[in-house]
Amino acid sequence: MTRDLGIFAGVILTVAVLSAATLTDVPAAEDAPRSAVLQAQTEAQRIAAGKRLYVQNCMHCHGLNMVNPGNVTFDLREFPRDEKARFVESVTRGKNNMPPWRDVLSADEIDALWAYVRAGGQS
Amino acid sequence: MEATICHLTPYNALSPPSAEAGFRCGRTGMKIAVWAAGLALLAPLAASAQTAAELASGETSSVLTYGMGYHQQRYSPLEQINKNTVKRLVPVWNYSFDDNRSEESQPLVYKGVIYVTTHNATMAVDARTGNQIWKTKVNYAAATPRIVCCGIINRGAAIFDGKLFRTTLDANVIALDAKSGKELWRQNAGDIKLGYSMTMAPLVAAGVVVTGVSGAEFGTRGYIDGWEAETGNHLWRTYTVPGPGEPGHDTWAGDTWKYGGGTTWITGSFDPQLNTVYWGTGNPAPFNTAVRPGDNLHTCSVLALDPQTGSIKWHFQFSPNSPFDYDSVAEMLLATIEVNGVPTKVILHADRNGFFYVLDRTNGKLIGANPYVQMNWASGIDLETGRPIETDVARKARAGELVTVWPSILGGKNWPPMSYNPRTGLAYANTLNFASNYQAVPADYKAGQWYLGMDMAAGWTFPDGPRGYLKAIDPMTGKSKWEAPSDLPRFSGTMTTAGGLVFTGGYDGELQAFDADTGDKLWKFKTGSGIEGQPITWEQDGVQYVAVTTGLGGVYTLFSGDTRLASVPAGGSLWAFALAPQ
Repeated sequence: MTRDLGIFAGVILTVAVLSAATLTDVPAAEDAPRSAVLQAQTEAQRIAAGKRLYVQNCMHCHGLNMVNPGNVTFDLREFPRDEKARFVESVTRGKNNMPPWRDVLSADEIDALWAYVRAGGQS
Repeated sequence: MEATICHLTPYNALSPPSAEAGFRCGRTGMKIAVWAAGLALLAPLAASAQTAAELASGETSSVLTYGMGYHQQRYSPLEQINKNTVKRLVPVWNYSFDDNRSEESQPLVYKGVIYVTTHNATMAVDARTGNQIWKTKVNYAAATPRIVCCGIINRGAAIFDGKLFRTTLDANVIALDAKSGKELWRQNAGDIKLGYSMTMAPLVAAGVVVTGVSGAEFGTRGYIDGWEAETGNHLWRTYTVPGPGEPGHDTWAGDTWKYGGGTTWITGSFDPQLNTVYWGTGNPAPFNTAVRPGDNLHTCSVLALDPQTGSIKWHFQFSPNSPFDYDSVAEMLLATIEVNGVPTKVILHADRNGFFYVLDRTNGKLIGANPYVQMNWASGIDLETGRPIETDVARKARAGELVTVWPSILGGKNWPPMSYNPRTGLAYANTLNFASNYQAVPADYKAGQWYLGMDMAAGWTFPDGPRGYLKAIDPMTGKSKWEAPSDLPRFSGTMTTAGGLVFTGGYDGELQAFDADTGDKLWKFKTGSGIEGQPITWEQDGVQYVAVTTGLGGVYTLFSGDTRLASVPAGGSLWAFALAPQ
């Protein structure tokens, strides 16, 4: 147990140091949500991978299962399903209250998030 | 030139406030005439300076500290607005923040000027007219909100010696000239890349600017800092989670302490006579207890600190090894109440864990702890050890099972501060009435990203009917003398007066006044957005004013999924009220 914790902490420390060094240049570290994105073969898997990313990065502004009142942050259930380019642009560069995510989320990951948003927050 | 060394010296808070005035001369050998000339030159400065004596005085023409006094009782002896006259209470002005985020700031008032903050600006407003005197914007990197868990907010400023002190979302502490809004100094207190942010109002205690940090949901390690008011020099840092060699470090396994949470995101209270600051600490990280076996000191605790050094005099832990996000950051309200017939200096604290605590603040000894809301995770508190007597709900949660836990992870009461009225002996708190569907899941640590270890998608269990109650609580029993229900839970602070009133706000935008003895709702006014602010009152030119910020967008708005709030527009502003002529 102690050894496992040590390895765990070592990984954490490495990630922390890398992230702290340059926020913009470091590729996204291997982790569970990213692995899920890379391994997703079907649309259902992509939606599931998107949900994991959503919980980790988006939920604290856009609500549990994408449900929020939509008056302070965007109600993603209302996002037009045929405007992927707008979604990608907003997530990548930020817009209004939305912060930019290009240094955190890869194109594959934003695709997975889009699959989750298109599915209406379901998986 | 010599005369210029005769300057305003902050009053020594260790002495009784009546002992001496706030002016001192820097050189004893100076001739009286020169000293007088120096004072004359400094007269304009004196008008905008605040001494420690003023901060401790509690006089009613000002609101100089978070909590309306170092004790944070949020009680005013003013009586002009009372049970009989409150029906004549009307708005006298409204000041727009030009902001659509949550407005949780407690305004300060000094010599006819209101100082109020948002996440992106600090403002000085004429208290009589609502005219803006100055506005200084706060710029932070666009990426900053990524690491702010529960609303893009700021909870207010501190004032001392002609300066305003505030924190910023990107974890800086800044000092502004209270006259002009010009920035005087800035110090970084945390790295946003690691998840640190700041939302709390600083405390100035014994001349030291004391600040805490946010970020436990991102795997930060909490601390409290002391800063020199004049220069911003860093005086001390006390970590809430002890490092190697510090007392309590052995309550953490392996390296878990490095990411252990225990943040300090609400302002502490201060007892000048005991020279002690009382500061609550937040939840351990992650929620999943399997990651961090042990009591996890000093999370979910109160720390008694020396303001000059930051050293810990004593601690009391409310929820050891908490799985349920039961932060203990909420106000440590200082009062003197009778315990077994003896007037006793106590801390009153309504913990998120659902128990109302009474502690002896001279030594941290537990006096009483009783439930003030519905709960199922513990059946009581052992008064000898202070430890909760946990039920199967807590044990199952630790084992990874799905449980419904009362109160929810937002607590029996969240951060919105309660008030205490010495005339009624009651504490007035906005309490929450719903549960969490709780299940621990693995937590993936990645610097600057959400580090929770709980399946948030499992959501809440809401009862039919009210999700919150304004309660008038007897501190020694936890029982309510009266309760005012609300379908939408209230997330506003409360304020109580000698006029026999309790003021608070609702998510529907109503500022409300209740009878402090009976709970009858005597007055209301619709402010235009949901109220998450902290009402204050003061007297100026013979007129008693009440002010509050409005603007929804905090933790309940974001996490509850309560779509009824869609009918409440966003939009932040400050309202001021006074009695209309008869």
